[in-house]
Amino acid sequence: MPEAAERKALESGLRRLNENMATLAELSELAIRKAIDGLRRLDPGVADDVFTLDEEIYALQLEIESTCVDLLALHAPVARDLRTITTSLKITTDLDRIGRYAKDIAELTLQFHAKESDHARNLGSIPQMAEMTIRLVDRAARAFVERDAESVRHIEEEDDSVDLLHEQAFHEIIGRMKTGELDAEVGARYILVSRYLERIADHAVNIGERVVYMVTGERAPRIRAAARAKGDRA
Amino acid sequence: MAVKIHVEGLSAWYGAKKAIQDIGMDFAEHEVTAIIGPSGCGKSTLIRCLNRMHETIPKARAEGKVLLDGEDIYELPAVTVRRRIGMVFQKANPFPTMSIYDNVAAGLRLNGERNRSKLDAGVLKSLKAAALWDEVKDSLDKGGAGLSGGQQQRLCIARALAVEPEVLLMDEPCSALDPIATAKIEDLIFDLKKGYTVVIVTHNMQQAARVADKTAFLYLGKLVEFKNTRDLFERPDQELTEKYITGRFG
Amino acid sequence: MSVAALACVAIALIPLVSILFEAGARGLQSIQPGLFLFDTRDGGIGNSIQGTLILVALSSGVALPVGILTGVYLAEFGKGRVGTGVRFFVDVMTQIPSIVVGIFAYSLILTLAFSGLVGTRLVFSTVAGVIALATIMIPFVARTSEEALRLVPISTREAALALGIPRHRTILRVVLPSSASGLITGALLGVARVAGETAPLLVTALGSLYGFSGLDQPIESLPHTIYTFGLSPSTAENQAAWGASLVLVLIMLTISIVSRVIVRLRSVSE
Repeated sequence: MPEAAERKALESGLRRLNENMATLAELSELAIRKAIDGLRRLDPGVADDVFTLDEEIYALQLEIESTCVDLLALHAPVARDLRTITTSLKITTDLDRIGRYAKDIAELTLQFHAKESDHARNLGSIPQMAEMTIRLVDRAARAFVERDAESVRHIEEEDDSVDLLHEQAFHEIIGRMKTGELDAEVGARYILVSRYLERIADHAVNIGERVVYMVTGERAPRIRAAARAKGDRA
Repeated sequence: MAVKIHVEGLSAWYGAKKAIQDIGMDFAEHEVTAIIGPSGCGKSTLIRCLNRMHETIPKARAEGKVLLDGEDIYELPAVTVRRRIGMVFQKANPFPTMSIYDNVAAGLRLNGERNRSKLDAGVLKSLKAAALWDEVKDSLDKGGAGLSGGQQQRLCIARALAVEPEVLLMDEPCSALDPIATAKIEDLIFDLKKGYTVVIVTHNMQQAARVADKTAFLYLGKLVEFKNTRDLFERPDQELTEKYITGRFG
Repeated sequence: MSVAALACVAIALIPLVSILFEAGARGLQSIQPGLFLFDTRDGGIGNSIQGTLILVALSSGVALPVGILTGVYLAEFGKGRVGTGVRFFVDVMTQIPSIVVGIFAYSLILTLAFSGLVGTRLVFSTVAGVIALATIMIPFVARTSEEALRLVPISTREAALALGIPRHRTILRVVLPSSASGLITGALLGVARVAGETAPLLVTALGSLYGFSGLDQPIESLPHTIYTFGLSPSTAENQAAWGASLVLVLIMLTISIVSRVIVRLRSVSE
């Protein structure tokens, strides 16, 4: 087998791409961590940090897109190079969305009053959900940077847990709204937070699936939890 | 798709030097199959075995099975095989002392056809099939040397098509041509697919990606990988193939 | 440097120019109808010209086909040991002195005559002269033909074979026509070569005071006439010798020019 030769221009482009992608993944993860932290403590300063992060994420995403287009146009890449570049293009969308949801959570944080009563209790399952979501994002991002398909091969199963927690939180909050314990407007905000977290987890799953494709070239069929449950019931 | 040419255990030598080893593959009818690989990997040797041109080289020999529509080409007369399987070469080689008309008609004429109207019809049909008719229809009696490189190559394609082969072998047909001429010939290959089976040897991977339905990768005389072009370029199975097509061959 | 080169060219050209000049100046006065109408017995060279033409025509008739076919063999099939051997012998034959070829032809016919296969009259005859000249011409034409055929690129042959044209027809209808200029030039040069040969004719065709009288009879030729007339005590004959020289030189020049014109015409039409 011949030694691998260098393709200087393409290699340097791919290196830059990987560095940027790693940074983007870090920023997105940081954004959601900060957003949750800010929500828990109802700290408006943290919320501002998240807004800044979101802008950085958006700018970096544009630069990555541009790099990918350049590499495609100039080098006509194939096989692994091609899969890496097209996957990067798609994942930036997911990472950007994660950043946006983090920003949305930060915005909601600002709308809660500084001393919201029963805030911790109202959050209910949400902190647990947030933990799982953040772990998912972390795992997916690390899998991408380390090109590790195995760690994310069954990632959609963990997403099921997040979905369940979301339903649980939803019912909790609805319940309390019905009994009047919780004001409708406030309650709606908690539901939105839970929803955003669930969407973030979905995006992490997307990233995981695309990493599997990038490394192995396989495209796994996505079976949604509801369909799987239907399958179990059948 | 039906199998047009079936190759099994094909090996070929130049004197004592083994050029290809134990090649087995099927060429499907009405498809374009590309053969890629680094210089000296045996691509040209392989296709020259398909129309028994390999044996025209002194001290060259081949072993193994090559079946054309199920018939062993070594049991048919070489002349018949070469009429059914035509060939276009890397450097366009129109007959120097013949006019354009005579060049295209050569295959028919030198195989016995004398009827003028049949020759005229054959020349017209072939030049049209090679997308050259409009450019030369008013100068059929001029020599081929006045044409550009790309036109000369299309002339050779017309000449090969005139004997109505079933398969067309092309040995790096565009390597001496500029991008516009190359594009014209690639378009031509796309059209030829309907009526012929095409096998093209190319060192240009993007060309294989553009024109071929299936692609075979040869290295040091052995067949390393052979599958749909799209799958080969998106997701090759062999590490060696990946190295070659991403340009990282040491 | 270029001055020295020019000087050498001038030196090389002097003999040629002086020959042409001498032949022209001295021979021109002999060019009258009488020279051509009379035979050598009467001081003319009519039979000499006729003799040379007949000898050259017959020799070419034998040597050109044989020589060209030998050239075809060497170019198309002569790659192995047999081909190398044949090529070697052909090369050697081009170097053999023409008098030796003459003696060879002489003794060949003599031997055949003694064994009763042919009449002894053939020893000095047109046929003998043709045998000698053809033997000189064949290897020469074989080599020039081989060179001409070699100039046809392999790609032309491959193109024909790939069309399903059998080997023999490829050679006959594609390769030979492609090399026609080279073949014609080689043939004409071979003809020019033997038109001026003298020594072999001395022991084969001999010479005659009369015109052509049969294949088994001696025959006169221009080189032989120049020899005999040139050494003769008669000044009229000496003068006629110059005339014959001029005629011979003109024949050679014509052949040279014709072969160049043919090459030029063929390359323009391609």
